[in-house]
Amino acid sequence: MKKFKVTVDGQVYEVLVEEVQGSSSAPQITPLEIKTASPAGKKLEAEKSLPQAPPVPRGSSGGAVVSSPMPGSIVSMKVQVGDRVAAGDLLLILEAMKMENEVVAPFSGIVVEIMAKNGAAVNSGEPLLAIG
Amino acid sequence: MEDKLQHLADRRRLTQGGGGEKRVAEQHEKGKQTARERLEMLLDQGSFIELGAFVQTNLGDAGSLDIKNPGEGVVAGCGTIDGRRVYLYAQDFTVAGGSLGEAHAAKICRVLDLAGQNGAPLIGLNDSGGARIQEGVSALDGFGSIFYRNTIYSGVVPQISVIMGPCAGGAVYSPALTDFVFMVNQTGNMFITGPQVIKAVTGESVSSEELGGAATHNQTSGVAHFYAQSEEDCIRQIKELLSFLPSNNLDEAPLSSPREPALSAEELVTIIPESPNKAYDVREIILRVVDGSEFMEVHSGFAQNAVVGFARIGGRPTGVIANQPLVKAGCLDINSSDKIARFVRFCDCFNLPLVTLVDVPGYLPGVEQEWGGVIRHGAKILYAYSEATVPQISIILRKAYGGAYIAMNSSSLGADLCLAWPTAEIAVMGPEGAVNIINRRELEASENPEQARFDLVQQYRAKYANPYIAAARGWIDQVIDPRETRAALIHGLKMLETKREQRPQRKHGNIPL
Repeated sequence: MKKFKVTVDGQVYEVLVEEVQGSSSAPQITPLEIKTASPAGKKLEAEKSLPQAPPVPRGSSGGAVVSSPMPGSIVSMKVQVGDRVAAGDLLLILEAMKMENEVVAPFSGIVVEIMAKNGAAVNSGEPLLAIG
Repeated sequence: MEDKLQHLADRRRLTQGGGGEKRVAEQHEKGKQTARERLEMLLDQGSFIELGAFVQTNLGDAGSLDIKNPGEGVVAGCGTIDGRRVYLYAQDFTVAGGSLGEAHAAKICRVLDLAGQNGAPLIGLNDSGGARIQEGVSALDGFGSIFYRNTIYSGVVPQISVIMGPCAGGAVYSPALTDFVFMVNQTGNMFITGPQVIKAVTGESVSSEELGGAATHNQTSGVAHFYAQSEEDCIRQIKELLSFLPSNNLDEAPLSSPREPALSAEELVTIIPESPNKAYDVREIILRVVDGSEFMEVHSGFAQNAVVGFARIGGRPTGVIANQPLVKAGCLDINSSDKIARFVRFCDCFNLPLVTLVDVPGYLPGVEQEWGGVIRHGAKILYAYSEATVPQISIILRKAYGGAYIAMNSSSLGADLCLAWPTAEIAVMGPEGAVNIINRRELEASENPEQARFDLVQQYRAKYANPYIAAARGWIDQVIDPRETRAALIHGLKMLETKREQRPQRKHGNIPL
């Protein structure tokens, strides 16, 4: 438990914040991987562990937001609220540049919120869903 | 004589000891090696020749053993890596926090000059608290003198910066001016203004690692090119990188004996999905074409819609550039343009041939891109490829549409050999977009526009979205079976081995920055 003082409109509130997992200061660290769609079913040998994910903005539900990498439309949402996903799992398909782009989970967790609807047009940076 | 030898031995011991046992222990506690330990890991055993070991600023006690800052916080000299000469410096955080003063900077400038004059790569191991404030403006002049040399020797010898500790304020600009930046996770940090200043000025709270750690600079900012888990991992990667590079701009890159790819070329025919709107990982193709299936990716975490890196093809070190359909459909945008242009220019500086694998749907549309200056950033790719005089081979794997096709080393920009797979679609734009424009009236009049559009797209694809129109015009030299790719590249590079190209005399061009 950590105690914080929060001032809103001059009113001071004392807030207790409980840490759910992991250590304190560093952001949640998970290796970021490109999903390799190998038709031959072979793991890409040259693939090195890529750097960790940078901090991600938090959604209203408290989850980490996965946002749209580019402007396009959602053709198929592959997960539902409550689904557990591992880093690299397919979340949804975003059609953009006449391509079906796979948006994969940048880290593991549970889908806590879905902001984007099937068929919706989204801009780059627009929140798609949140993983908690 | 005995006394004098004893004095020399004591002096050497003191200098070698850096900031003393306590500081060295602190350095180790942080998971960091000392400057000398790092040099030992990096260099061939016993090859190090130290320069300016006894440099000190307070000349008053120069004859005594009361040495305040041994080596002035930096170890500099030359040595060999895999038998090849390199010049290098390593900042010593145990001595006055590795802070940079006049003498410290002079030692760095000395090895920079020697590297340039002798045509050998320069490696700088950075671990410094910044300017030595006590020296005031002299420290600033020190930074300036280093930046000047980084620039003068840019394109003369490869320059590599390694961030193994803090590197803040003005100090960041030396690495920024060099060719490649390596960062070690959790210990290497780079920023112009640190978290405390940001907190004071803008109120934003951010940790050093989030603000300027190895992950941030390898993914978000693109300041760093290589990410290392540890110092050992970092040293291994530096050696690997050097194995691809010539020692200077007049040298050839080291050749090795050709090795077949470890992955089967047969699989090349199945990697590209049947449907043109499905993605695949272009690295799967690279690995099946290059020697030993070994590819050293540069900027692997940054602007992942493009892939750049070093490989050997038939034993010859080569720069490989590719669009990555797996990320953002492989489109070109601001960051991928910067990434490709920078890499192409490095290869051109150092006589490394360029092989470009093209599967590009176009430039990314969007207000953010336009306002961010995608025009001037995108122009860098055109400039870099047009400017390059090294052998250039491009292979169109699938999509090559519009301006992005021209940008990806088309024959118009000076590619020496243009190949295409039978899956190539070379056109002014994608079939869907083209049909919407060309057949607008027809579609409007149609009773079933969806079906009509589908039919027209199919017709357009069959008629125009193939490599044969471009081949008929001579812009594509050969359409090849994907399994012939490696052989075609080996023969092509051989054919272009002795390429010489004269350009008009000029001071220097003006790349759009």
